[in-house]
This record gives sequence, C-alpha cells and structure tokens, in this order.
Amino acid sequence: MSDIDIKRISYLAKLKLPSEKEEFYSRSLEDIIQWVDNLKKIDTSNIKPLHNVTEVTVSIRNDNIEKNNTPEDVLKNSPERAQNFFKVPKVVE
Amino acid sequence: MSNNWEMVIGLEVHAQLKTTSKLFSSSPNLFGSEPNENVNFIDSGMPGMLPVLNWACIEKAIKTGFALNFTINKHSVFERKNYFYPDLPQGYQISQFEFPILSEGYLDIDQPDGSTKKIRIERAHLEQDAGKSIHDIDPKFSFIDLNRVGTPLLEIVSYPDLSSAEDVVNYMSSLRQTLMYIDVCDGNMQEGSLRADVNLSVRKPGGELGTRCEIKNLNSFKFISQAIEFEFQRQIEVLEAGESVEQNTMLFDTNTGETRPMRSKEFSHDYRYFPDPDLLPVNLTDEQINQIKPSMEELPHDKMNRYINEYKIDKDISKVIIAEKENTVLFEQMINESDVTPKNIASCLVGDIFAFIKEKNIEVLSLLEFTKDITDLLKLISEDVISNKAGKEILPQVLEGKGKPNELVKKMGLEQVSDSSELEKIIKEALVGEEENIAKFQGGSDRVLGYFVGKCLKSTKGKGNPKLINKILLEKLKK
Repeated sequence: MSDIDIKRISYLAKLKLPSEKEEFYSRSLEDIIQWVDNLKKIDTSNIKPLHNVTEVTVSIRNDNIEKNNTPEDVLKNSPERAQNFFKVPKVVE
Repeated sequence: MSNNWEMVIGLEVHAQLKTTSKLFSSSPNLFGSEPNENVNFIDSGMPGMLPVLNWACIEKAIKTGFALNFTINKHSVFERKNYFYPDLPQGYQISQFEFPILSEGYLDIDQPDGSTKKIRIERAHLEQDAGKSIHDIDPKFSFIDLNRVGTPLLEIVSYPDLSSAEDVVNYMSSLRQTLMYIDVCDGNMQEGSLRADVNLSVRKPGGELGTRCEIKNLNSFKFISQAIEFEFQRQIEVLEAGESVEQNTMLFDTNTGETRPMRSKEFSHDYRYFPDPDLLPVNLTDEQINQIKPSMEELPHDKMNRYINEYKIDKDISKVIIAEKENTVLFEQMINESDVTPKNIASCLVGDIFAFIKEKNIEVLSLLEFTKDITDLLKLISEDVISNKAGKEILPQVLEGKGKPNELVKKMGLEQVSDSSELEKIIKEALVGEEENIAKFQGGSDRVLGYFVGKCLKSTKGKGNPKLINKILLEKLKK
C-alpha cells in the first residue's frame, strides 16, 4: 500500500476523483516520486540550493499605472455577477 | 487568577506599501474605488499572464530594513503559497518563504518607567494581498471585489518578545510611526493599511512555552487589546480546568469582544510552498542597497533628539510633536520660515494650535498655508507689539485665514501701548491717593506691585505693555 494520502491530495488540489480511480492515481504518483527520489543518491551536502539555472535576476518595472482593460472585461469571465461584484456560493469563515 | 500566569506574544504585522501600482501588476494600488475597478488580467489570475516586480516595493522594503535594523538580504526568492479561496483568483499567494528580503531586525519600545525594551524581529517579507469577500449582502452568496488583489504587503514577524497588551500596542504604534515616517505605509488602520495577527500563549513565569493560538486580522489598537485580554483569560481557564490549549486560528468578534476558533481542523493547512517559476530570484547589489540610504527620512527617535539638542525643546513637548509625522512637517516649516525661537513655536503648536485643530476637527497639514502668518504673530508677541493674551485672541483668526496678523491687530484694536511717556502718565494717575499701599510696598510687601500693575492695565483697557508698566512702576515706587 502506498504512503500517499490520495484523498487529501485531491482535496488540496480541488480535484474530484472517482473512488475506483484512487488506487490508480496513488500508484502513478508513487512511481513519479520514486523516480524523482533518484536525485537523493547524489551527495549535495556542499552544494548551495539553486532556484534557477540562469544567473539572471528578476526583471523589474517602475512604479507606474497602466490600465488596459475595464472591470467589464474582467467580469466577463464570471459565472455569476451582481453589479460589478463576482457572485460566488457563500464562503464564511 | 491571572497573577500566576504570564502571556507570551509574537506579532505578525501586515503593512500595505504606499506605492502607486501593485506588487506585480500595473493596476492602481488604491483604496475605496468602485468594485473591481483596479483589476487587470494579472490580478484576476488569467492564464498566461506574467507577474513583473515593482521596483518601488523593493525600495520600500530596503528602507524598512534600514529603519528597523534588519539584515538586508541580497538574495531573496518569491514562492507560491497555495490555497483555495474565492478572493484569491490565482489559487496561490506570491510570498517569500525560505529566503525573505529582510532578516533579524529589532525595534526599541518605550516602557512606562522611561526605559526601553528591545523587541526582536525575526523577518520581513514581501507578498501580495488577497481580494475582499463581502458576506452580508446576500444570505446565499458572497460578493467578491478583487481591487485589493496584488496590493504589496510587507509582513513583519516579531519574536515572542511581547508580554502584555500594552507591550503590543506600544510595539505596533511605534512600528506604525516608523513606517509612516519613512513613507513606506500610510498607517491608516481603518482602511486596513496596517493589520496584525497576534500569536499568544500562556505559561507560568519562567516555565516552558505553552501552545499558542493565532488571532487573525486585527485592525485597531482597541481590538488588539481586547482580543489579547480575552484570549489570555480563555487560555488560563482551559489550563486551570486541567485541559490543554488546542493550537487554533481564532477570529475576534468585534461585537462581543470574544475570540473563537476560525478554521475547521479536518485538514490542517498545507500551503505547499515552492519557488514561483514565473519569477526569478531577487539578487541585489551593494550599490542598489546603498543608493537608497541617502533618501532615508529622519526617524522619529532621531528627530526627537534633534529637537531636544538643537532646538532646546523639552522632551515632553518634543514627544508630543513627533507623535505624528505631519506635526513635524508643520513645525519644521515654521522654524525654517522665521527667526522666532523654536521653543516659542513649539509651545504655541502643542498648546493653542493643537487645541484649535482638535476643536475644528481639521487636518494638521491644512494649516501649512498659514505658517508664515503664525510665526509673524509670534514675532509681534516677542517684540512686545502685542501682549500674549492679545496673541491668543488673534491666533484663531489667523488659522482661519481671516487676515494677516498686523492687520488683525489693528482691526481688533489690540496693539500694545509701549510708549513710555504715555504709560508714565497713566502710572502717575494710578498712584494718586494710594499712599497707604505705596508705604506697604516700601515696607516689603511685593503683592502690592501686582495690584498696581493690574490697576494700570485696567486703565489702558488691557493694552498696556505689562513688562514696561512693571519696570516704570518699580522705578517710581522705589523712589
């Protein structure tokens, strides 16, 4: 049996898995992780973590405003709206 | 009951950075716009849109680094903090995790006994704010406004060095003052520009740290104090009942003044941080960091010391002035524009001018246009053209822009009589028939002098120069 908690992972990823597929995805993920685990065989104790293979630093912009769209453009994508708000099923903490 | 327990508090403060545009997009960073007015395709999480870092946010972080004694890291990394919520359209918040831009700073806070306490700050990192959910318009739906999405935040995380609600309020207000002085944050807590998460646990003095609870999103000093006091008592009650405190995220209910657990514990949060592949690491050079130093504004504490040492102003008065940055702007403009002593300006400012501001409920900076008139008025007083009392009468007129001081003096008939021959005449008349009192004075009773000064002032209708009257009177009486 795999160590992977597939229910939890699908919850975090907001994916609905049919229960008969859980075993399949569990195993697939396990395989992937095992393959990536090959990297552990390399001794990295003297190597600094690398976040990017290029030595380039992040590109930046000046603090200026640009407006290329209207609220209407953005709201077009909403399944439901109320005036200029997005309208979603109630979420309360 | 609480005598046997002490509280241990660490604070996470979110400061919205005072920039024109957002952290990774060119949308306006503005409070109070129409819903979804300041949202572009990056903010709304459209596929394929790429974030581009706003350099002003790095500059403000570096300034904060200098002001709060941080190590400014030349290498920092933006990572994705993954969670689902409707006001976070990307499905992740871009934040800094393993490599924040600032590490290991501190802030000294004033204690009631006059000493200072060092509050160590673990880190500060840049991140995006989320949007706003409105739950109370419709019973079945939440309404989402994404204007705040992508607003730049600096999250400042203290060590658990705070041990009372007063400590927390002191720390928070000192932090707010500093960030406002260096123009990093507008400090407007009502608008949410500065918000705190409080991490609190209780223990027996000297004992091991207890389990902590986090109270989220407090945006006023009053609520911070109330939430801390309530949570402190709650944890003590749990422990004294023989139970243990459960690590929880709490909400503070501003209506009841109580804290309650916020998130279901079914699944603990798992943010699965990883470096954002859309953003390269931020690598700063010494030159870039040091370039910012000369543009640093004077910090509150340095300003206070300068007022005391250079301007010879009392510590208490200096403290009142530096409490808000805008006071110092008004004050320093008056000093720069005139040769009236800073001391005179300071006492007029914290006295009559502050009283006027409070009474009329106006902005401090709205008086900037009258600074020259104010100092002209103070000059008329120090040159004995008018009395102190007359000055107080004229000041509100000056502050309302009703005229120039010298015009108002004439118009209100408040010019002081400083003509010694005229005053001599008045004094001579005042002494007629006062042989008995004159004898008393010459017998050593100083109180009679005050009586004579009063009598002379009365016959000048209050316009006689009291100093001069005093002087002439003494000459006459000592004869």
